[in-house]
Amino acid sequence: MRRVGFGSGLVVGLVAVVLLATACGGSSGSAGDALVDLSTFIGGPAEHLDPALDTSTTGLVGALYDGLTDLDYSDPAHPLVKPLLAESFQANADASEWTFKIRKDMTFSNGEQIKPSSFVRAWERASDPDFAGNYSYLFNFIEGGKAKLDGAATSLAGVEGDDDSMTLRVKLSAPYSNFATVAGFQLFAPMPSAVDKLKDQADWENGLMIGNGPYKLASPRTDAEVVLIRNDKWAGDVNGNKWPDRVSKITFRVSADPDTAYNAFEAGEGDMTAIPPGRTKDAEKNYATTSHVDIAGVYYFAVNQEDPVVGGPKNVLLRRAISQAIDRGAINEAIYDGNRADATGVTPAGIPGHKPKLCTFCALDRAAAKLAFDQWKAAGNTLRTPLKIQFNAGAGHEELVQMIVDNLKAIGIEAEAESRPGETYFSEVAQGKCQICRSGWFADYPAYDNFMFDLFHSDSIGGNNEGRYHNAAFDGLVDEAKRTVDPARQAGLFQQAEELLLNTDMAAIPINFYKGGEVYNPKKIASLPIDGLGKVAWEQVKLRG
Amino acid sequence: MFRYIVRRILLIIPTIFLALSFLFALFFVLPGDPATLMAGGANRIVDPGVVERINERYGLDDPLLVQFGDYWKRTLQWDLGESFQNRRSVNDILGDKAVNSVRLAIWATLIEVVFGISIGLLSAMRRYSISDKLTTVVTAVASAVPVFVLGFLLQYAFAVQPHKHGWPDWMRLRTQGIGPNTWTLFFIPTGQTWRYLVLPAVVLAAGSTALAARMTRGSMLEVLGADYMRTARAKGLDGHQAVWHHGLRNAMLPVVTLIGIDFGLVIGAAVLTEKTFSWPGLGSEIADSVISRDLPVTMGLTLVVVLAFTVVNLVVDVSYAWLDPRIRLGQDRNS
Repeated sequence: MRRVGFGSGLVVGLVAVVLLATACGGSSGSAGDALVDLSTFIGGPAEHLDPALDTSTTGLVGALYDGLTDLDYSDPAHPLVKPLLAESFQANADASEWTFKIRKDMTFSNGEQIKPSSFVRAWERASDPDFAGNYSYLFNFIEGGKAKLDGAATSLAGVEGDDDSMTLRVKLSAPYSNFATVAGFQLFAPMPSAVDKLKDQADWENGLMIGNGPYKLASPRTDAEVVLIRNDKWAGDVNGNKWPDRVSKITFRVSADPDTAYNAFEAGEGDMTAIPPGRTKDAEKNYATTSHVDIAGVYYFAVNQEDPVVGGPKNVLLRRAISQAIDRGAINEAIYDGNRADATGVTPAGIPGHKPKLCTFCALDRAAAKLAFDQWKAAGNTLRTPLKIQFNAGAGHEELVQMIVDNLKAIGIEAEAESRPGETYFSEVAQGKCQICRSGWFADYPAYDNFMFDLFHSDSIGGNNEGRYHNAAFDGLVDEAKRTVDPARQAGLFQQAEELLLNTDMAAIPINFYKGGEVYNPKKIASLPIDGLGKVAWEQVKLRG
Repeated sequence: MFRYIVRRILLIIPTIFLALSFLFALFFVLPGDPATLMAGGANRIVDPGVVERINERYGLDDPLLVQFGDYWKRTLQWDLGESFQNRRSVNDILGDKAVNSVRLAIWATLIEVVFGISIGLLSAMRRYSISDKLTTVVTAVASAVPVFVLGFLLQYAFAVQPHKHGWPDWMRLRTQGIGPNTWTLFFIPTGQTWRYLVLPAVVLAAGSTALAARMTRGSMLEVLGADYMRTARAKGLDGHQAVWHHGLRNAMLPVVTLIGIDFGLVIGAAVLTEKTFSWPGLGSEIADSVISRDLPVTMGLTLVVVLAFTVVNLVVDVSYAWLDPRIRLGQDRNS
């Protein structure tokens, strides 16, 4: 009898619990002047929010911190670097020394004035080898940066802040005319004096971090969400616009993957999310999307220049044949639901200096491809074993690589897809252990050299120059462009370098450029502006009603 | 009985030591250098200086035995270290996640106990009836459908469709997260929280409930045909009384084991359910930490899961011994 009583009691208890819980239920969801985003944290919570540590491509940190400069994307095809926390910036003749005059009317969200010393504090903190994050190598741009990161120096020799004259002087380790663009990158954002009181700098992002952007943290981050509210002390963007009607509260909620996030979006639990693979058409039909916006990123294949079969000057015709045999349009439709743009070069639109249709051999032309392949064979070359197209497994590249294999077979080039473990793929590629290697690159900051230098300069061999491309003429053009202050001349030099890379050497095979990937509820959101780096300009989001 | 319990408790120590030592060794067998992956190496080629600094900071360039010794020294002081990824204290991460996991596990187990056992009993007592056949089909389906498929379908049926058809908010369940996270008596959801709990709890319980129902049915059928049940009926008990007083206790032996193991499992291995519903629990955190080679998180959280599992096993064994005195008597006789 006792056990029967327990069983009945359990059932009654459960019913009571459910009834109690039901009675307590009310309404929820984003309402009024608030926004719930399900796109930023797909896959897991924020790894970092601290601008010294964050490496994500989302715009959240940009909403919390402003830098010395920012990009004005009023004309998306021609973004302009403008001073933001600086009232002006100036380089010396060879762009080796930069002077930023800091505005006097700028404060952090706690009211503390932003001074040159706020930058010195932030930069010393972010280059401290015990704390430095994954982007800390950018301090190598600055004189003494390498020594600081290596632990051989205690401060950055090239940085000098004078609060009296509100001037920040930066001496670079080598002339660099795009430093004003890099200086706007989040790594170089200022820090308030509160960080000096921390015992452990890692605690900063886990507490109520103080910033200077259009938004501030409403509460410390959790594993489930990050909540931002308006920073009423924000002084406005590069054009002085304070966006007074900006959304008052933004909740960034964590979702496991794009499909479950999309389910939650469709269930009304969020106002925007990322479009899951293969659902672009569905999203465009039922909601509003950012799939029309160009993002500064390129999907390409690096060709190992040290490989005897495909690399080096004697195999240019084979590489040209491969590039011209690829049906980029079909790949875009079949795999990306049309949500990419066929690549016409390596450097995408939105990067100052970008030249449309730069690549001569990046469009499908099977006859030309076949001819180039025949000419390559006629020169005494033969393909004894199938070409290997390597890619990192588990990241959704299988189908694309298989389509390329089929494209190549159609003109008589035997190839095979080779999947490699994702954990070791990029380290192996960096060591030259691949033949035709899948790759992709999103701009860290909108500068032409972020593509030409980082991906193809000989100084980047062993790093992101995955094809180990080495051409002294190319290096010379890139080096000169990096020193050149005049934007038009600089753009011309970078374009010449890229033409050499693609049209003469065919050292890489670009496939497509990325597009915006957000879907949002048009009944709630009137406009969702995305900048050229794919980041949402949160302060510019407009809600209906 | 006391000696039996003490012996079982002492066995927990070598179990934990072996389990975690094995995991520690396994970590270094996995492909990919932890420091490179921490520096973002799964997505791009990283700066060698950054990798070097990570190695130094976390002692990853120390010999393995030194790292192993350090690990146990810290663990014995209950210092589980800090996450390589976001530098949060593992003790903090553990606190949040373990509570979420235990709450979800409690509800999944309650569903399993209440529905699994009742359905199994009904099926056994109405053998070959339509409801019995229906139970067989439904439990087979529930065991066979993958968790993420079931989760996705339920999200669509109880959250997406109601929203699209404009049902009142209180009739719609939630698909993601833990909601306002308000609870009474530790495990009873209050306010909006129940709407976040229902779907993950049901999905997590689906497979084990089906298994518990089938096991209860099979076990009960075996017991119903036993001699002592015939004796019970012969001495005048009606069918229901015989089942409650004599059948149930014996039939529950294997079911208790199953439920115990399930409870241990759902605390630390509910990865798919936690992922599908973005429920911030231990399982998904452990899985993520393995992928990102976040050793302190993997080790710290696994330690707790192993602890929970061994404690649950102990409880199961003790209750087993309580349900069937032959077990403890046999143990005592052998000692």
